[in-house]
Amino acid sequence: MQAVDSPTTRPAPPGGGTEQRAAVPRPSRRRRADARVPWLLALPTLVVLVALLAYPLYRMIVLSFQNMRLRELLTGLTPSWVGFDQYEKALTDSTFWGVVGRTAGFTVVSVILSVLAGLGVALLMRRVHPKVRLAMMIAMMFVWALPQLVAAQTFRWLTDSDFGVLNYLIDKLPGVDYANHSWFVNPWQGWSLVTVLVVWAGIPFLAISLSAGLTQVPKELLEAATVDGATSRQALRNITLPILKPLLTIVTTLSVIWNFGLFTQTWVLRDGHPEPYYQTLATYSYTQAFGQSKYSYGSAIAVITVLLMLGVMVFYIRQMFKIGEVD
Amino acid sequence: MKRKIAVAAALAATLLGTAACGSGGDDNGTASANTKVDGTGKTIKVWLMVDAQTSWKNVVEDASKRFTAATGAQVNVEYQQWANHLTKLDATLAGTDVPDVVELGNTEFSKYVFNGGFAEVNKADFENSGTWLSGLSGACELDGKTYCVPYYAGARVLVYRTDLFKAAGIADAPKTYDEFLADADKLQSGNKDSKFGAFYMPGQYWYAAMSFVKSTGGDIAKKDGDKWTGQLSQPASQQGLQRWVDAVKKYSKADVTKNENDQANIFSQGQAGMFYGNAWEQGVAEEVHKDPNDPTSPMVPTKVKGKLAAAPMPEIPSFLGGSNLGVTQKSGNKELAAQWIKYFTDSTSMSGLVKANALPNATALLDKAAADNPTIAPAALAAKQSWFPPNAEKWADVEKGNVLQTMLTDVLTGKKTVADATKWADDQINTTLNES
Amino acid sequence: MAAARQDDQVLTVGRSRLGTIFANTGGVLFALVMIFPVYWVLNTALKPRDEVMSFRPYFVPAHPTLDNFSSAIKAENFVEGLINGLVITLLAVAAALVVGFLAALAIARFAFYGRKAIILVILCVQLVPLLALIIPLFLMLQKANLTNSLIGVSLVYLMLLLPYTVWTLRGFIAGIPKELDEAAMIDGCTRAQVFWKIILPLTGPGLVATAVYGFIQAWNEFIIVNTLNSPAKQNLMAWLLQNQTERGTAWGPLMAGAIITSLPVVIFFLLIQRNIATGLTAGAVKG
Repeated sequence: MQAVDSPTTRPAPPGGGTEQRAAVPRPSRRRRADARVPWLLALPTLVVLVALLAYPLYRMIVLSFQNMRLRELLTGLTPSWVGFDQYEKALTDSTFWGVVGRTAGFTVVSVILSVLAGLGVALLMRRVHPKVRLAMMIAMMFVWALPQLVAAQTFRWLTDSDFGVLNYLIDKLPGVDYANHSWFVNPWQGWSLVTVLVVWAGIPFLAISLSAGLTQVPKELLEAATVDGATSRQALRNITLPILKPLLTIVTTLSVIWNFGLFTQTWVLRDGHPEPYYQTLATYSYTQAFGQSKYSYGSAIAVITVLLMLGVMVFYIRQMFKIGEVD
Repeated sequence: MKRKIAVAAALAATLLGTAACGSGGDDNGTASANTKVDGTGKTIKVWLMVDAQTSWKNVVEDASKRFTAATGAQVNVEYQQWANHLTKLDATLAGTDVPDVVELGNTEFSKYVFNGGFAEVNKADFENSGTWLSGLSGACELDGKTYCVPYYAGARVLVYRTDLFKAAGIADAPKTYDEFLADADKLQSGNKDSKFGAFYMPGQYWYAAMSFVKSTGGDIAKKDGDKWTGQLSQPASQQGLQRWVDAVKKYSKADVTKNENDQANIFSQGQAGMFYGNAWEQGVAEEVHKDPNDPTSPMVPTKVKGKLAAAPMPEIPSFLGGSNLGVTQKSGNKELAAQWIKYFTDSTSMSGLVKANALPNATALLDKAAADNPTIAPAALAAKQSWFPPNAEKWADVEKGNVLQTMLTDVLTGKKTVADATKWADDQINTTLNES
Repeated sequence: MAAARQDDQVLTVGRSRLGTIFANTGGVLFALVMIFPVYWVLNTALKPRDEVMSFRPYFVPAHPTLDNFSSAIKAENFVEGLINGLVITLLAVAAALVVGFLAALAIARFAFYGRKAIILVILCVQLVPLLALIIPLFLMLQKANLTNSLIGVSLVYLMLLLPYTVWTLRGFIAGIPKELDEAAMIDGCTRAQVFWKIILPLTGPGLVATAVYGFIQAWNEFIIVNTLNSPAKQNLMAWLLQNQTERGTAWGPLMAGAIITSLPVVIFFLLIQRNIATGLTAGAVKG
């Protein structure tokens, strides 16, 4: 599959992409028609996005400047306008900032762990016997194929304090009493479990992508380095990683987007009612809106979440944007 | 493909026209259940919770049959799952195509009644309405009007292992709380297994913990004028909570972060002497359907089959759980809806529920229920001494906010003292209940 | 397997035999640890209830049974969920591919005023949390009479898949050298002919990869379908979600249901195993 080649071996485009087109002589009537063609092609997509995304999005933003509670929802009364009150309430609330910090902390830790683990596995796959590699691939494909909800429910079952196999196994260790141990009493322990779940479920995508990228590292280069007396660590740092960098950037940013939006895993592990110290932005916004019927407050939190994400992702979006520019 | 785009365009068009208006509620007329209505050709939509489907579908069908015979209208019953059901209800009631009858848990009802979600009904139209269980009907009353109809109740009782009691030399169920503690001590010391707990009590089982708070004269919150004040940090409440904490720490091996959902299954493993649960939970602990998704499949006994008995929990008033039924304010068939509720909550339907181990909706029916079905006799007795959470508009938000659950777990894990945790909970309750 | 055909002598250059043994052991351990939860799903699904609900876990079913599978399949709304899920997902994926391909073509092959804006919109909308949009979406679809309908959910999923689809396909189209188009046009092909004879065939693998990821995304969604539709019109994910909180979880049938739910995705992965890694990243980087 040639597409795998692209992250690392993409040749620098000769000159800017747009000029290229101009090199083909075309009758001018054609060019004028061209101006409409791309818009016609993009039209269906734009219609879908405007109809199904822009309107709800607009409503969400409007809602965040109102005070919509259950009465307004049920009776259709227009909610009162409160300006920036909802935002002020969120931004001055220490609980909210706690949630933001927790979400950010979890994202950083889980993404670093996932990417390192993925890279490690990808490198390991290059060193092992083909049969072992096949076993690793098969194991990862099965993990990857498990829907998020199923994966979360599986972990809930594995770690159940009464019927879970994890407690049973740990309890077998000499001198450890883990019978009926609850993994969620101590938030650090609970969060470790959530992180393990997220990393476990994330490894297949990362490792398989990165291992595909590794196949693009020119063997001659590695051989030459070895001949010149470079250790394998030096070869990794000076040859492999630089070549892998664009791909690493992309899988890292994707992981950030996914892990920042953590919802299903904590929701399922905490049986649909995460305690305050298991709330992240996604669950917090949802419980405020639907649990507490503070639809406007929940919307304001969602808007803030998008803005925070945009802030972090500006870098990513710029990078992607440049790529999109090129052709 | 073109069709898709057309649909999307149609969507966009409708939106432009109707973005701002909601359907203004109908006039607040009372939905009478006794007027003669010709419902021929009409169908009412009923949302019941899944319990009706698994345990008393026959009662639903019978009531609907009688309703159809009387009015000519058809009934379309849709069974809802407890998980996520309020989100779905919110979204649906916000729209125009709403169910005509909705079942909600009794502690969930106030919020919707206060906010105009349900139509007024004429209390006198419903059988036994004079003696409705106040724990259920409390949530239906607002400013002297009635907005929903009690459906069924459940009261918690002490379920215990008769074989272990016998082995420990205990003759009978405890009659006082001190006897309960003495029995628990005997069970605990008589069993050398380190995983054995005399009294199974999961840490987030707040209905149980609050029952203990009530037992010493404590309370969750009180209303002074139009302001609610949390009462958990009052000495009487703290004393009751301490009572619960002591019992849990000494006799329970249960997960302090679990609630009571799984307790019957866990208890049936035989690693506990007693638990505090609904009458039907005793049944679940003793035998289960071979196929859990098929209520008609044969029953399979568990390890504790035939070794269980139930009695009222001594000196601890029971939380009265249960459900009510309401006619939605936006329903286009209010009178038919009220009539269906009338059939579904009359004495005939109630005796059907009793057969399925649920408690009837009125005190007048409790004694007969106890006589008809010995399984629920202790629960029927417990229901007479029951309590109900504050009837405040925002009470459901306290429940959803995990306030009490978090308080209990914090105390049991030693993260907070009873004094600190109750103080924190009171603060949360005050903020939530008094929010405008 | 994507990486399975490397020539090993090159890879092991300068590496000790001991290191290789360590690596192989590590690889095997890794595979075992990764697969263990999956194994436990299967193990639980094959056990009778008393072995599932046992404080002492059975590492292998003592009395293996398929009862849990038949229980799941016979359960209320399971088969409906399977069919609904397939209908919703296939509709959404097919629509997303057609609609998205056109837009991708515009972005990848045309320079036009507004192109940057479209790219920016497509990148940014992926950051919007869908949960916050549920109530507006619901109200909107209800006005169009599309709640409790498979079409309505498909439309929402189409919106969900579209940005990703456009972006990925853009990468695949951009990967086809423009010189090919140009040569063909010099030879007298029209734009439409270029599309049918060059671009479409060459993006085939990309379309497959995009379709598979789209399928997974739509297949795995549960919150929207659970809110918009009644139980009989939901998918298997929603079934799994609801099955977990009823009077104590019936873990056996739940795990059996989970396996059935995961099967379509496993099958897809096996079908496209060679290209498995390309779908998510290749499109994103291809310039």
